[in-house]
Amino acid sequence: MKGYFGEFGGQYVPETLLPALEELESAMDEAFTGKDFRDELDSYLSDYVGRPTPLTHATRLSEHFGCEVWLKREDLNHTGSHKINNAIGQILLARRMGKQRIIAETGAGQHGVATATVCALFGMECHVYMGSVDMARQRVNVERMKLLGARVVPVDGGTATLKDATSEAIRDWIANVDTTYYLIGSAIGPHPYPTMVREFQAVIGREAKEQILRRTSSLPDAVIACVGGGSNAIGIFNAFMDDTAVELIGVEAYGEGNGRHGASISFGSPGVLHGTRSFLLQDRDGQVKDTHSVAAGLDYPGVGPQHSFLAATKRARYGLVTDDQAVAAYKLMGRLEGIVPALESAHAVGYLEQYRRDNRGKKVLVNLSGRGDKDIHTVIGGAS
Amino acid sequence: MIAQGIRNHHRAVIPYVTAGLPDLDATGRIIAALADAGAAAIEIGIPFSDPMADGPVLQRASHRALQAGFRMDALVERLDGWSATVDIPLIVMSYINPLMRRGLHETLERLRDGGVKGVIIPDLPRDAGRIFAHCRDIGLDLIRLLAPTTLPARAKDVLSQCSGYVYAVSVKGVTGQRTILPEGIRDQVASIKALTDLPVCVGFGVSRASQVNELLGFADGVIVGSFLMQRIMNAHDPVQAAHNALKSIRNAS
Repeated sequence: MKGYFGEFGGQYVPETLLPALEELESAMDEAFTGKDFRDELDSYLSDYVGRPTPLTHATRLSEHFGCEVWLKREDLNHTGSHKINNAIGQILLARRMGKQRIIAETGAGQHGVATATVCALFGMECHVYMGSVDMARQRVNVERMKLLGARVVPVDGGTATLKDATSEAIRDWIANVDTTYYLIGSAIGPHPYPTMVREFQAVIGREAKEQILRRTSSLPDAVIACVGGGSNAIGIFNAFMDDTAVELIGVEAYGEGNGRHGASISFGSPGVLHGTRSFLLQDRDGQVKDTHSVAAGLDYPGVGPQHSFLAATKRARYGLVTDDQAVAAYKLMGRLEGIVPALESAHAVGYLEQYRRDNRGKKVLVNLSGRGDKDIHTVIGGAS
Repeated sequence: MIAQGIRNHHRAVIPYVTAGLPDLDATGRIIAALADAGAAAIEIGIPFSDPMADGPVLQRASHRALQAGFRMDALVERLDGWSATVDIPLIVMSYINPLMRRGLHETLERLRDGGVKGVIIPDLPRDAGRIFAHCRDIGLDLIRLLAPTTLPARAKDVLSQCSGYVYAVSVKGVTGQRTILPEGIRDQVASIKALTDLPVCVGFGVSRASQVNELLGFADGVIVGSFLMQRIMNAHDPVQAAHNALKSIRNAS
């Protein structure tokens, strides 16, 4: 059925929003089929974002883990993460749709910064919803968004993290649906968002596949990426979907373990949150559970519906990395490669510790989805 | 059956009450008090952790009810007793996830067995055909919402899979009290009535007796949620507060 990935996905939204989703879908279809949108997007990706991003052979990390590690350097994008790929794509779409007011949710602040950036670039009004807990632990990004002219709206409801910021953004959209474009930051939400966000992030996998083939003459044995909502992962997985010899591994936030985590696929069950049916961390009454991760961008009880589908069909598998393991990987990367990854991306790097046990000498492509300046405070302060 | 009840009711006001606030025993007494105050039907809200279509008052009500230990099983156990004490239809309003958690069809049947006459699900999937068919088969009305943004073709689709009454959402926005009725609500109701014989009830934003008066001039009923829950949450005696609030908003001249 349209808008579904197997039994996952769909449009579970208040009636008020349905016409807006239809309008968005037709704008997206029109944009994706026409050449002029592609050309416009590509020119911004190269001249403003700085694409293509490099593929780095991490030689000291490879030596450390006993695997051949290649890093897709999304941390080198303008604004410091992969989030800009999607933000620039959606803002071009919003412009075509004649919308002037942009709203977004953010967890770590990377998507908020990316959205504030593209709004500044095109002179559009920007409101970013952010949980007050996240605002405290990602202060630098809050200041960056304000510098870029965005209004950051604190959300105190529920757990005051990404899920509550998303709910509040949806409420704003319901109230201002005529004038407002909701620029979702991950491959979540009602159709067509999961598909649209994947298409805008697919540039990561397209480049990486071409680069690794050119540099090594063969495909990697595995592709590893962190998964919160899962946009960087779906973006890099997409190019390898039909290459069944390539193992696709998503890494979920295992937090402190013992029920304090954000691992929806590993520990959740199918449920509906924010307009889509996917794996969800919920109690036996269907109430959404509190989550925890040291990485604000992974602190979300749901996951993009396509990841649920990839897990259910076993095309991808999903591993776990704890807060401590992610922090260790964060520090290790700095010392061995001179690269400080975002704590989110550090989950993907940290997974190599488990992967290497049965995979000595294998070639691994890791999506380094963002840079970690924003997390220095958290890591040094020991706060989470 | 719900439709008939609304049509025959003088000044049909349908209160919405969040279940489990301050506890389920109180909810039972509030339901009896609302029936006594002249409610045409009562919407019993299942609290949800992430109520994306609700404004601050109903968010807070949901949150408090969950904090107070609301459990679905405990609610279902009480439904029978509640429906036996009132002679107006009880309707359950819930986001879809709590209803789906242990099987949507099974849960709907449990509600029906408890005497519930209809359900309202604000985040039904776009294509709700199978859910509507199941409700019809088990004798439960599926009350659908129509928004100010709903286009005529969609409205026809929705109305072909709707029973009990039509819930006309008065505003582009979430639930909550507003001081003035949106322009266009009269036209919105008229255009829905042109497409269906079902009663049309207006909800979202109603907080004054004068609004109820005006709406009852052209709609078949009015739904009152946040107005009531705010008074219930602020009161020492929530049962009396519910009774007074419904009386005051329903009977003004």
